[in-house]
Amino acid sequence: MKRTLKWMAIVTMVVLMVPALLMAGGGKEAKPTGPVKLSLWGGFPEMEAFYKYAAEEYRKTHPNVEFTILTHPLREFEQKLSATIPSNTAADIIEISMYANQKFIEAGLIPELPPKVKEYFLAPSRFSEFVKKNNTYKDKLYGLPIFQGRTALFWNKKMFQEAGLSGPPKTLSEMAQYAKKLAKYDANGNLTRSGHSLRLSGQGSGVAEKFWFILYPMGGSILEESKEKGKYHAGYNSDAGRRALKYYIDALYVDKWDSHAIKHDADAFELELTAMFFRESWVIGDIAKKAPSLSYDTAPVPADVRWGRITNPVNLYVTRSCKNPDVAWDFAMFLNEEKNLVWLLDNVGWLPVRQDINLDSVLAKKPQFKAFVMSDPKYEEFGYTVIAAFDEIMTKLAERLVAAFLDKSLANNPAGIAKVIQDAANETNEILKKAKLYGE
Amino acid sequence: MNRMELQKRIFAYSAVIPVVLIFAFLRVIPIFQNFLYSFFNSTVVDPMQEFIRLENYQELLKDNLFLLSLKNTTLFALFVTVFSVGLALLVAVLLATRTKLGGLFETLYFLPVITPMVPVAVVWKWIYDPTYGLLNYFLSLFGIKPLGWLVYPDLAIWAIIIMSVWKVIGYNMIIFLVGIRDIPDSYLEAATIDGGNKFQVFRFIILPLLKPILLFVTIISTINAYNVFTQVFIMTSGPQGAPGNAVRTLVFDIYENAFRYFKTGYAAAEAVVLFLIVLLLTLIQLRTGGKEK
Amino acid sequence: MIRKIFFPALKYLILSMGAFIMVLPFLWMASTAVKPPSEVLSWPPEFLPRHVTLENFRTVFATAPFVRFFFNSVAMATLCTFSVLLTSALAGYVFAKFRFPGRTALFILVLATAMVPFETYMIPLYISMVKLELVNTFIGLLAPYLIMSYGIFFMRQNVLASIPDEIIDASRIDGASEWSIFFKVIFPMLKGSVGALSIFAFMQTWAAFIWPLIITSSRELWTMELGLGMFQYRFTVDLGPINAGSMLSIFPVLLVFLLMRRHIIKGITLTGLKG
Repeated sequence: MKRTLKWMAIVTMVVLMVPALLMAGGGKEAKPTGPVKLSLWGGFPEMEAFYKYAAEEYRKTHPNVEFTILTHPLREFEQKLSATIPSNTAADIIEISMYANQKFIEAGLIPELPPKVKEYFLAPSRFSEFVKKNNTYKDKLYGLPIFQGRTALFWNKKMFQEAGLSGPPKTLSEMAQYAKKLAKYDANGNLTRSGHSLRLSGQGSGVAEKFWFILYPMGGSILEESKEKGKYHAGYNSDAGRRALKYYIDALYVDKWDSHAIKHDADAFELELTAMFFRESWVIGDIAKKAPSLSYDTAPVPADVRWGRITNPVNLYVTRSCKNPDVAWDFAMFLNEEKNLVWLLDNVGWLPVRQDINLDSVLAKKPQFKAFVMSDPKYEEFGYTVIAAFDEIMTKLAERLVAAFLDKSLANNPAGIAKVIQDAANETNEILKKAKLYGE
Repeated sequence: MNRMELQKRIFAYSAVIPVVLIFAFLRVIPIFQNFLYSFFNSTVVDPMQEFIRLENYQELLKDNLFLLSLKNTTLFALFVTVFSVGLALLVAVLLATRTKLGGLFETLYFLPVITPMVPVAVVWKWIYDPTYGLLNYFLSLFGIKPLGWLVYPDLAIWAIIIMSVWKVIGYNMIIFLVGIRDIPDSYLEAATIDGGNKFQVFRFIILPLLKPILLFVTIISTINAYNVFTQVFIMTSGPQGAPGNAVRTLVFDIYENAFRYFKTGYAAAEAVVLFLIVLLLTLIQLRTGGKEK
Repeated sequence: MIRKIFFPALKYLILSMGAFIMVLPFLWMASTAVKPPSEVLSWPPEFLPRHVTLENFRTVFATAPFVRFFFNSVAMATLCTFSVLLTSALAGYVFAKFRFPGRTALFILVLATAMVPFETYMIPLYISMVKLELVNTFIGLLAPYLIMSYGIFFMRQNVLASIPDEIIDASRIDGASEWSIFFKVIFPMLKGSVGALSIFAFMQTWAAFIWPLIITSSRELWTMELGLGMFQYRFTVDLGPINAGSMLSIFPVLLVFLLMRRHIIKGITLTGLKG
């Protein structure tokens, strides 16, 4: 037995080692002539299909270009970039959001847009003012946008009808009223269906981001730019911030249309355990797969003293280790061609950033996208402030909010709510001070 | 030194040195480099940019999140180690006696160790669900009202302790089974011939002979528990995740500092502190348990 | 009489209850792997699929070259396991049975490196790999897994526990060289622990994620775990394919366990302790 095992081992080793070593992936550089090799790394695995499709289309007119496309889950991808960008071993093109790339841009490790791409980027009505500002750092432009996450309200048509509601809420106070009508309880008074599914827990910045959806229409924001440009302070230590927190506390402990004990988010909506919730456009594809008979629609985020929704654009950057930047940027602009962006929306579900394209063909098939792509001069866009410290601010605020949402004593307690907001804002300002970005 | 001694020495060095060299390259040097970063105001882009001596450490001692992580992790490590080692020993002993379907049981107990984290997290989040969860259902049979396992901070940490014990029992069990198997049959025969019952055999023969193994399992359980990350990360992620700070552990804090807030030096200092704590615990355990026969 | 029935019954009851909870996620994983997407989301979760489909497996293979990934994972885990076994047994034996200056310090050093979480030093290690031009190579992929601190510690403890000095001394008196003592006398006596260690080393290498992710820049070198990561989207996980892929992924590790088990638990019985 031992001898056979030993032989098995040796044979296996030989059999495995030879081909494996022969096929060791290329670390050395290719010969100067020959095909152009372009590598693209992304942090959104669902985009794999899009890049594969676009690469094949590109090769129809550029058959000498060979693509290596790798997508990774975002958290690990950002770690990979931390290792590869400073050591010049990153891919030719990387797909990442501006603020996640910020530390590398600030360190001068990311090249700015070349003139041709800059011209393309600044073409009138191609990209919104928000996006143009988002991609600017010290008056230079970085990154070509490709897709974005935007928020809308998902609402269940059948439940609304049954409750006698004619359409989606237009204001936040309407939303709370509707939620109260749509909530359902069991014999013991426990919530079995939430009127609107709020984001109450979980790590990372998600809780703070969703809080912002309500904070912004109420007039506040996470950060406000100070009179001195490039400096900020907490933008929610105000009536808006307190009202926003009160909105959640009332939902949980006064009007009781949401609770910690039931399911939340897309899963809840698909299982009909909630009547409404805020999310990005990828949910549309998810519902089509998992709950195809769900009767639902989307609507713009309700307004309050102002009207606006979050926008999280993701960009393509050509890195400095790229040997063929012209081809790389050409491909990046190719990805932004109308027919490719239409494919993106139809098949992947993330929204294109580019505005001067016609998406009617997709909207006809999937009208739920309308609430995401619609624009209105009064419907504002807001997004992450592009500073490296922003993630820390959001994450720490999220952690405070999670604790606050669990605190029953905040119900009908304006002083308690004010204190929570004050303490959180102080922390935000401390973080800004440490990063030397604080300004009144 | 006579010839045999010399041969022994040569063998010892020639066996150990290559291994140690590989070790140095793959572990010691990178760890040392990270250790150096803790004395700088490091960022990932420029790790040695600003020498600030012990400032990172001073700030660490004042950092509430670090202290919270330390407290949580210690609590976690204590209970996970005690329960996972104790229960694994129990299972191993039960299985070591002639058990029908013993092989099947071992395989089933080993499954959690190799089941990937994604299905594990989904099922455990369900087990802990306040309304439909298995655990609350089980407790209701005893008249206990439903508890918000992943909702409330004080419960959440227990939820993750239970899940972590579950995941690691099989691993420890295998090690104990190896140890028990290696006990020469003659020892055990002699004991029972002398008239000992099962419990006496266990206490006076098996347990002492298992000491080196028990020590090993306890030490690595402690080290692993202090280094817990993946299950905490995955149980707190997503919209139904447990409250982050409630189950905040040291490695999670290090990860956030290093990769979310890009404070490489600060995270490195934290890693050093974690290392010192674990080293201390390990040395204590080695001292108290490691007296060789 | 009662004892003959009561204790065994209790034993089986405890073991079975434990086994049930142990196996639950695995059962859910298997059932989700064969469910169509419309059934994946059910609340509370249903374990028995209403329709069984192989669609998820098809999706897995259509998304990326998973056969290649599987092959890479097997090659990587096998080679690393052999390396760990050899280095751990050798070093463990030396630490257990030989005295030399610096032994304790060296051993503590080895053990100490296990106490530092990998993610804290993986970037400096990566930079070393860059300097050695081992980025995106098979060797670079294997590097951190060729050696295992726990392995050395484990073998040392097992040598201490089960190898009496007399046997070694006897072999020396018989004139055997140190190396032949190791391979012919010691190693065979460590069957059980070598078996256990091979399971652990295989498992750990198979499950590696962050290092392979960082070190590779071409699909040809990807492992199963990296492939499965392709189903972890920004805000959701594609449960069908990821569970189907996990089923495939768990299979080799389970196989190694079953193969090695027989080494570990030869015969099971402890005479005189009839259950």
